[in-house]
Amino acid sequence: MKDSAASEAIRLDRLSFTYTDQTDRALHDISFSVAPGEMIAIMGATGAGKSTLAKCLNRTIPAFQSGRLTGEIHILGQRLTNEGVADMAGIVGLVSQDFEAQLFATNVVQEVVFGMEQLGVAPGEMRRRLPRALQAVGLHGFERRDPASLSGGEKQRLAIAATLALQPRILVFDEPTTDLDPLGKLEVFDVLAAMRREGYTLIVIEHEIAAAEQADRLIVMSHGQIVCNDAPARIFAQVDFLQEHGVRPPDISRLAARLHLVPVPASLDAAETAIRASKKIPLGPPFSKGEAGPSQSTRNVTTNNLPPPLLEAESISFAYDTGTQVLSNVSLRIDAGEFIAVIGQNGSGKTTLAKHLNGLLHPTSGHVRLSGTDLSELPMNTVAADIGYVFQDPDHQIFAATVADEVGFGPRNFRLAADELADRVRRALQAVGLSGLEDADPFLLSKGHRQRLAVASLLAMRPRLLILDEPTTGLDFPEQQRMMDLLARLHAQGVAILIITHSPWIVAEYAQRGVLMSGGRILFDGPLRALFADEALLRQAHFQAPDVTRLGRHFGFTPLSVEEFVGVFGC
Amino acid sequence: MSLFLYIDRPTLLHRLNPIVKVLGMLCFFVAAFVTQAPLAALPVAAGVCGLITVARAWPNVRRLRVLFIMVFVMTFVIWTLFFRGGDPFLAWGPLRLSTAALRFALGMAIKLDTFLGVGIVFLSTTKIEEFAYALTCVGMPYKLGFTMTLAFRLVPVFLDAAGTVVQAQRCRGFNFDEGNLWQRMRRYVPVIVPVFMGALRRADGMAMALEARGFQAQGPRTAYEQYRFDGTDALVLLMAISVAVLYVVLWYMGQTSVPTA
Repeated sequence: MKDSAASEAIRLDRLSFTYTDQTDRALHDISFSVAPGEMIAIMGATGAGKSTLAKCLNRTIPAFQSGRLTGEIHILGQRLTNEGVADMAGIVGLVSQDFEAQLFATNVVQEVVFGMEQLGVAPGEMRRRLPRALQAVGLHGFERRDPASLSGGEKQRLAIAATLALQPRILVFDEPTTDLDPLGKLEVFDVLAAMRREGYTLIVIEHEIAAAEQADRLIVMSHGQIVCNDAPARIFAQVDFLQEHGVRPPDISRLAARLHLVPVPASLDAAETAIRASKKIPLGPPFSKGEAGPSQSTRNVTTNNLPPPLLEAESISFAYDTGTQVLSNVSLRIDAGEFIAVIGQNGSGKTTLAKHLNGLLHPTSGHVRLSGTDLSELPMNTVAADIGYVFQDPDHQIFAATVADEVGFGPRNFRLAADELADRVRRALQAVGLSGLEDADPFLLSKGHRQRLAVASLLAMRPRLLILDEPTTGLDFPEQQRMMDLLARLHAQGVAILIITHSPWIVAEYAQRGVLMSGGRILFDGPLRALFADEALLRQAHFQAPDVTRLGRHFGFTPLSVEEFVGVFGC
Repeated sequence: MSLFLYIDRPTLLHRLNPIVKVLGMLCFFVAAFVTQAPLAALPVAAGVCGLITVARAWPNVRRLRVLFIMVFVMTFVIWTLFFRGGDPFLAWGPLRLSTAALRFALGMAIKLDTFLGVGIVFLSTTKIEEFAYALTCVGMPYKLGFTMTLAFRLVPVFLDAAGTVVQAQRCRGFNFDEGNLWQRMRRYVPVIVPVFMGALRRADGMAMALEARGFQAQGPRTAYEQYRFDGTDALVLLMAISVAVLYVVLWYMGQTSVPTA
């Protein structure tokens, strides 16, 4: 591989791949080329073939996954024939979503030098490359740290540094920020931007619009094919096209379509200018800062007529045996039928708090009461009948041979009569849209289906409160919408919902009440609109409101969705 | 919460050549192994305590104190009851207590805790990369040695996953403490299956990540850390070997056992 002066970094010619055991082609006649130093973003729904394409570029396919590969891949002017994955290590670097599986050394230095040792880089050269790689991702000073002790964003940046040390000319990122919190995402985006300036050729598969907007070109894939390959701005302007292919359209594009702004503004400021120029006049701010919207609960009003809370945490604190304080004096009241979003950085105590709400953890001080009874006095399976808890990763609970058995596991622990059990399973599967899959093997379902199966298995216990830890992480846009619409339906039926999430639009469009956590404390607890109106507070927690909300602030109000914004302008 | 024992400290023992660490550990294992009487076992135990101090590994001992105490107490009780030999000063049914039994049991308890201590000194001062290096030096193929040490690294990961799975199933009304032993074992299926499937997925992902970083490359490998064998290494190794030899000789002369006559 010497022809580094090739005019094309990557050229694919009618690349097709069919996984063994499958009839449909995962990749279907993919052809495109990438110039050296270009940044290409790839978007599309799950199953579009994005990851398959990434794996072909460093030969993980066909080395690890068998199937039929046809067509040609040219890297730096050289056609790939039968190279192994390790042969590609210094040419094409692949960084994947799962940063945990990419780290295996005792400290940061060992992690970065591992690849260089495998490729036989001289020790002196290693000592030169090591600080440069760490500098590039902002991890200098972390040399002796145990990778397991790093935050998610730091782990992913370490995985990038370990790849950079091999000096590949081409870097492929397969959803590098999917499992990260907002701050972690920003850290990785900054690294991507720096690498772009350095002249690396970058292929970035992302669901985040922010990353794709930086690219020279955006490729949209669908069912194994490229359906569009153009400048990001041009593609992002086409709302219907994006939606059709499972990509969430940017707020501004949706606004522009509704308000007939031509051309589609490229930024929030441009959008403000365009709206002002169009002489559209707000019909008067319908909701001022801090005001509760029509559907907001009135829980902050102190009256004696309030029904008793469903669940109440009273100044709870929690510390691990090691002395690490995770929660400090947190109080939270949950009423029947609420829809609450808990937001905050990883490590702020969100999950720890949630695990206190169903008795998985007990506070070191303070009390959690379910309908007046202290949770520490109730056996776990009594609590479980009232409060459902869906873990972030459905694979931590799925074990049964069939979907119906999986859903029936919870209710069966309560020794229900057979017909009652069958009825519950049927209704739960119906609620999540998995009817007809009763006899399917849960392990063969898609991630989105498994996530909904996990919800069904807790729904079958008929909880009054359903707690979900990041229920949409790792799902594509259509699946995220399906999951959230499911929760909205359950909420309408009277189930109280509490979700932990990092996704601004999900918080804005679905929740009624927002709880913002930081450093084991609750910084804000109240109506969502009031939370999203407080820019300084959000910034402190590295949480960015949706674009449409931020644009609304330019006009002096806090819309939570495109529909609300448009409604204000009377269109 | 990490179950990994390595503590990053700039001590003399940390800086030793990995091979010296492995051989030194073996020497102390041998010395502890041939002891039987408490008086013979105590000097080795004291020596290991000294090593723990030099390695600044007491925090690990504190973390595993329950294990140390359990091993000590169980060993002592079991050997006191089952040791045959010596004149019993107390006999009650099948139970016989003799001074020899007490001495033997005490010796065994010290001996087993000494084993644990030696293990802690080694694990507190040795990175898995060093362990892999030492294994290749004694002739094990690099890939095998690396994979073995990787398994060490993954134990805490899988224990952690198991903890999460247990919590997830408890949220579904699952109760571990019901039924007889057989029923209880069957009840673990909802825990074992997700942990096992997760381990498979993890192994698959890790294999891909390893190769993407050049593992399995054809050419010769290099090493970032250059482990030298200097005067300190020679001295420490010599001392460790002396201890082992001394104890083997004492054992051969019958000086380390508990007399039962």
